[in-house]
Amino acid sequence: MRSTRSVAEQKSDPGLGHYSDPPLLVLASLASGPKHGHAMIEDIFDISGTRLGPGTLYGAIARLEQQGWIEPLPPEERRQPYRITVDGLRVLRAKLATLDQFTRAGLKRLEAL
Amino acid sequence: MTPRLARILTRLYPRRWRSRYAAEFEAFLLDDNQAKGNVRIVADVIHSAITEHLTRAQRGKMNPDPHSFGSIAKHPSAFVPMAMSITALTMLACVLISEIVQNGQIIREADEGTVAHLWQILMAGQLPIIAFFAIKWLPRAPKASLGVLALQAVSALASMAPVFLLKL
Repeated sequence: MRSTRSVAEQKSDPGLGHYSDPPLLVLASLASGPKHGHAMIEDIFDISGTRLGPGTLYGAIARLEQQGWIEPLPPEERRQPYRITVDGLRVLRAKLATLDQFTRAGLKRLEAL
Repeated sequence: MTPRLARILTRLYPRRWRSRYAAEFEAFLLDDNQAKGNVRIVADVIHSAITEHLTRAQRGKMNPDPHSFGSIAKHPSAFVPMAMSITALTMLACVLISEIVQNGQIIREADEGTVAHLWQILMAGQLPIIAFFAIKWLPRAPKASLGVLALQAVSALASMAPVFLLKL
């Protein structure tokens, strides 16, 4: 997944950098239900410690919508909510499975030290 | 963020992007309480706008699903067997066409010849590659892998068809 620059505020360990894969973060956020931009930013901050900037968020939204992995819902006042599609869920599952595999392998190596 | 700044920042994006997202993006910036005077957020929007201009051709391309048909078909073990079948078929077609042009008919010789041996090597050589592909990809992405295996089978059958039909 292509990484996009993000404006991020770390909850802890700023020296370690941050997880910067905005499209994946947006998909993960929408997996818990439809959200508009600000709700996504707060949710993503809660689950990953990364605070996406508005440009980064909409860059990810544009890409995800073009891929058909998220779709807009009818606007609520001035806010535009989005929801994840069935294809988006499938992609998210595959990406997270890959990350999970990577994490397990990394932790296993650390245990062996 | 002030309406003026929100409008200016939104205008930095390409026209095509603006035609879809300008209204909601501007509203989003206006609603963003943290964006007030936040240089980092302004810098983020400027950077994203530049990125949208620069990556116009690739816009919307996140890395594809690694288990999709398109991604799996790009692996060498998926396309090499098909390439081998097509090469074998092309070789066969060239020999048959040259025989028809030179002799007016297809001459069957007792000695199979170099082309026949190459054809056999190409057809037999793809079997371990197909087996490797099936073992590696069928458990991970059954549906997409079956699609690729079907294409491999069709290309192999297409290459074998003239041999059996013309009894070469």
